[in-house]
This record gives sequence, C-alpha cells and structure tokens, in this order.
Amino acid sequence: MHIPDGFMPLWECGVFWLISLAFIAMSLKWASKELDEKKVPLFAALAAGIFAIQAMNMPIPWGTSGHMVGGALTAIIFDSPWAGVLMLTLVLIVQGVFFADGGLLVMGANIFNMGIIGSFVGYYVFKALKNIGTPIAAFVAGWASLFLSAIVCAIEMAIAGTFPLDKGLYYMGLYHACIGIIEGAITAIVIAYLSNVKPDLIGAKSTVNE
Amino acid sequence: MDNKKILLYGLVISLIIGVLAPFLACPNPDGLESTAEKIINEKTLHHNLQQIGLEEEGTVVPSPMPDYSIEGMGKVGEVIAMIVGIIIILAVAYGITVAIAKKN
Repeated sequence: MHIPDGFMPLWECGVFWLISLAFIAMSLKWASKELDEKKVPLFAALAAGIFAIQAMNMPIPWGTSGHMVGGALTAIIFDSPWAGVLMLTLVLIVQGVFFADGGLLVMGANIFNMGIIGSFVGYYVFKALKNIGTPIAAFVAGWASLFLSAIVCAIEMAIAGTFPLDKGLYYMGLYHACIGIIEGAITAIVIAYLSNVKPDLIGAKSTVNE
Repeated sequence: MDNKKILLYGLVISLIIGVLAPFLACPNPDGLESTAEKIINEKTLHHNLQQIGLEEEGTVVPSPMPDYSIEGMGKVGEVIAMIVGIIIILAVAYGITVAIAKKN
C-alpha cells in the first residue's frame, strides 16, 4: 500500500506531511515518557522483523499480492498506538530513502495511512474485543487496521483525482479485505505466542512495576 | 529473556525471513498497484509527474537499492539488499529509541 510519488499532487502531499509530523512529534513524546531502556531492544527487534516481513508479499486472488504492515501488532505489544506510529514512521523512512518503496513526497500520506490509521484502529479494536479472547481480538485488530488504511488511501486517491471514488473504494476495499487476513493472522499468531511466553510484554503497564 | 537475547532473536528471525523473501515473495503487484492498473486516471498522473519532474511514478530522490535490489546482481543483490535493510532499520530503531527513551 506504499503510495509512489506521482499519485498525489504536491498540495495534498504537503497536507499529509503536516498532519503526520504532528503525530510523529506526539509519538516521540510518548517514547520519551513510556519507553524505557528495557523496552528499546524489543522495539528495535520488532522493527527489523516488520521490515523483513513487509518484503514477503503473499499471493491473494485476482493476480494481486499483499504483505503485513505491523502498526496494530506494535501498538498492542507496547500498549499504545503511539508506539505503532513511531514504528511505522521509522520503517517507512528506511523503505522510502533506501529502497524507493513509497515516494518521499507522499511519505506523509503513507505514514498517515499505515502508521497512524493502522495503529490507532488496530489498538482500539484490540482493546474493545480483548475480553472475547486475545487471539480473536488480535486477528480482528490486524484485519481492521489494514482494511481501514486502504479505505483511507482510496479516499486520498479520490481527492487527488487519481482514482474515481466508487471504483477506488471497491478495488482497494476488496483487495485489502483479503490482505487484511494476512495482517490479522500474523498479528494473532505473534500476540498469542507472546502472551503465552512473555505475558508481561502484552499490556505491560498493568503488570510491570519494579 | 534478557535484552541482548531479544535483540539477537529478532535479528536472526528477521534475517531468515529477509534472506528467504527474494525467493518466496509473490511477484504480483500489490493491492494499490493492482487498483492503479485498473482504474488510474492517466491524465492526473501525467499532470502530477510533470509537476515534480518525473518520467514515471516512483520517488523524487533516487534510492541506492530501488525495489530491494542491487543493479546487475540478480537474486544475490536482492538478498544483500534485504540484509543491509534489516541492519539499517535495526540500527535506526535502536539508535533513535535509545536516544529518547527515559533512562532507568
């Protein structure tokens, strides 16, 4: 879902850079308050894992492929959507600067879609469904985060005049409803695994207080 | 599990995925590209590209390893690009968070 340069006019790129910069500033503030030196290695290890798995596109129907994004996963593990915003910002900067994956002018929009929408939707869906069961909540959180990121992307493309709104919503929604299953499954597997092996990592605030 | 182990496990798992990715990743276009192939407004795209001085959609500043590959190196280049990328993101994420994280 990495938008390349050319899909959006400059003014729209500017608007999304401004919005995203405000969120990035808040995510840095979160990190300075909530991220301690004990959690830094987990954050860095997860960043490497998300970067690697984003390169592993999996086939979905209609000759299309998709990969996970990881905002929901990060937000759930660190118990804050701001962790996901910071994580995806760093991953998207490295992808855009070194690998031409997503344009530099539209990077603000990519951070907005995958980092901000993905993390906030994933985090709050997980919180709302947590009582039903951790793996189910994590799956739906992952699915919804990817699906809504794609819907927001389709709206941005419609504002740009790049895609017509109705067809944009239809194809982006259809494809990403499938890709969301990949996002949901990996999110559920990792969260279920971590909550068995390291329960103190998930929702760390309530248990860790040394 | 101590911190060094988490970092090491993360690196090893990432490297395994990263080295396999060039061989296993599906070459089909992703959801956004597929949508673009079907419904993109060429006139708008052309107008935007002219505005930023690009021939085709991509990025305004050339990247050292576009599309996770190194020119002329085939699959070996793709594996190297992934390994380099994993080390860069690990260093960037570690460096930035350790610089701003609250000290114990």
